[in-house]
Amino acid sequence: MRLTEASKAFLVFASLFFYSWWNIMYLPIILVSMLFNYVIGVSLSKEKEQTKVNKKAFLTIGIIANIMLLGYYKYADFFIENMNHLVNGHIPLLHLALPLAISFFTFQQIAYLVDSYRGETKEYDFLNYANFVTFFPQLIAGPIVHHAEMMPQFAKLRNKVKNYYNIALGLFIFSMGLVKKVVIADTFAVWATQGFDSAPSLNMLEAWVTSLSYTFQLYFDFSGYTDMAIGIALLFNIKLPMNFFSPYKAVSIQDFWRRWHITLSRFLKDYIYIPLGGNRKGEFRTYGNLFMTFLLGGIWHGAGWTFVFWGIMHGVALVIHRVWQKLQFKLPKLLAWFITFNFLNIAWIFFRANSFNDALKVLKGMFIGKLVFPLEFLNYLDLLKAYGVQFGNWSKLYANENYIGLWMLVGAIVVLFLPNSMEWKKKFKPSFFYMILTIIFLLSIFMLYRKSEFLYFNF
Amino acid sequence: MLNPKIYLRILFIFLLLIGVLAAGYVYDFSKQFPPPITNRISFDAKLKFIREHIDPDKIDTIIVGSSVGLNNVLGAVLEKGSHKVQHVLNLSVYEATTLEVEQILELSDAFPNLKRIIYSAQYSDFPHAKKYENYKPEILKKFIRKELSSIALSKLLFDACNNLLFCKQREKKWKKEHLQSDKFTSLLFDHTGSVPLEIYKKEAVGGRWYLPHPGIMHGESFNAVERMAKRAQKQGIKYYVVHQPYRDTLVKKHESVGNALKYFDDKINAIIKKYNGRLICLQNLHLSDEYHADRTHLNVKGSTIVSIEIGKIIDQEEK
Repeated sequence: MRLTEASKAFLVFASLFFYSWWNIMYLPIILVSMLFNYVIGVSLSKEKEQTKVNKKAFLTIGIIANIMLLGYYKYADFFIENMNHLVNGHIPLLHLALPLAISFFTFQQIAYLVDSYRGETKEYDFLNYANFVTFFPQLIAGPIVHHAEMMPQFAKLRNKVKNYYNIALGLFIFSMGLVKKVVIADTFAVWATQGFDSAPSLNMLEAWVTSLSYTFQLYFDFSGYTDMAIGIALLFNIKLPMNFFSPYKAVSIQDFWRRWHITLSRFLKDYIYIPLGGNRKGEFRTYGNLFMTFLLGGIWHGAGWTFVFWGIMHGVALVIHRVWQKLQFKLPKLLAWFITFNFLNIAWIFFRANSFNDALKVLKGMFIGKLVFPLEFLNYLDLLKAYGVQFGNWSKLYANENYIGLWMLVGAIVVLFLPNSMEWKKKFKPSFFYMILTIIFLLSIFMLYRKSEFLYFNF
Repeated sequence: MLNPKIYLRILFIFLLLIGVLAAGYVYDFSKQFPPPITNRISFDAKLKFIREHIDPDKIDTIIVGSSVGLNNVLGAVLEKGSHKVQHVLNLSVYEATTLEVEQILELSDAFPNLKRIIYSAQYSDFPHAKKYENYKPEILKKFIRKELSSIALSKLLFDACNNLLFCKQREKKWKKEHLQSDKFTSLLFDHTGSVPLEIYKKEAVGGRWYLPHPGIMHGESFNAVERMAKRAQKQGIKYYVVHQPYRDTLVKKHESVGNALKYFDDKINAIIKKYNGRLICLQNLHLSDEYHADRTHLNVKGSTIVSIEIGKIIDQEEK
């Protein structure tokens, strides 16, 4: 038993070491946050000793403290900047470094406090709690986990026994995430960065390459990270919840949010949308709740008006989708997918751009930019010349990139036609086929040269 | 379906085998080609060259700069033509901005008997304020002095070669692009690390030959020159800035070039005089097109003349 406790303590220590590796300055923040929430959570759970008023006060204090911590580090400068604009003030910015993963561990612990208040938490061992917050595979960028789905796993004795099947499966899922991140996402990242950050203007093809590159980059990057987290967790016999399920196959915006960052959607639904009243208070209130939930979701992703706008776009799209459903309109599946995908692609532009001007630069290029096709297409598309389409050097920006078209095709095939990693996970068997796939995927470790950070580390 | 335990055993054996093969490749690659330590092939090649061919304790003169330093000053000629200069190392790196030159000079501590630094420059080196990222001079100093432990050396090489595809591409490019003296990308070093160019005006192509550089110079570049001069004075090292000849035809044809050259000279002179530095301006050599590989780079004929001239001025200056 003592050895079990020691191993859990070691796992907490290793996770905190991993967290501190980035910057040890952040360590006290996560430690204080963890202790504070644990104490509040345990107090909330002592049902008999407290009145309902007391419990509510505790919960309110807990949530406000968490939001203040997040607000101070993530949104203080954004707030000051806007105040300065509004009242023509000169309050100096704080320039605070954003503690790693603060959005994730804060949300996770707010959920814990609410669950404790509702009496849905049962296990209060501090080491288990510390593992729930700091467990290194999911600490930095999720999945955002529930207390109820993690604590029993840390407590379960059988999970402390070596499980060869889980190790084999974990390695396979991890390797799949690695290849998504290192080979695919990092390839698209170069083109997205060139288009968003380097070019002063973009022609039509360049703008589409830029926006699609980011759309693919974000998916492969984030889902790659999640796969790696799920894979590593399996080595410890811990099963993390699914976070992606082929989101670009979605045929509506609602469908998309059931497939993209599933644990965030779950959080937004359980702790914002439903407490706001969900769909129980009439149709108009439902629209308002949907809109508000996604507005907050946008703000959660970053302190900037482009994120707010991205949240508004999704909120409005969900409202329109609900009205559409209410009116019982139906679209052919292919058209529905086409509209959804293009909406997502356009919305991601605001998510990625550093400013509205940058976003408009890409949008302008996509829809009214000059259309120049590569000279090789002249034989097939000659008739387009009559409509002002030019043929020649299609891009100065991507002049040296010979494989963009091929990569776009590969990206599209993978996201639209191949099984996703969760489907692979279900099919997995310890056979030579999966062994060879694991080895091939792991070879991407030799392409790690393009050092880059995971996109969701900043959120 | 295999038993999971056996599956894992076989998998680990394969992974171990791949690891061993990769390690063997990295070892072999770093013996034959410049390992990508800095992400700039000419810097990597220079580091490997110093490690393998230079005795750091003997070096008394360092030439530094961009390709204007690498191609336009021949260390071997300088050694022969000057009484004061005994052992030269050309530490120049292609495309090095002034700020990068400043970073490169952080390696000068690795040469304990250094007496002079020659910064070979042209105003066209000055518009950018780029710096090397993740630059670790302490490790590089130990690398060129062969003072890294085996573990540290292995770590450096494996970190450098963690993209094997990149190494493979470098391997392919190396002979084709960097071992030809008639290419501007040549890295065929003489025994001092200079690269004599065998490019004559017939081969020089396009804009490199007939278009002048815009006269943009970044203030931070001049600040870097000042910091280098100050540092050199503090260490008791003589600091020279050699303003290399610009293609005379262009100077005569475009007033803007003449203005940029004058601005550069005045500014540099004012800065380095304060630190007992010396500006050597070579425009007055009026080298004809026969000596130029392009507007700023000299071929071996031009760089020989320039190197002899620099040697003479050093001898006079340090009499």
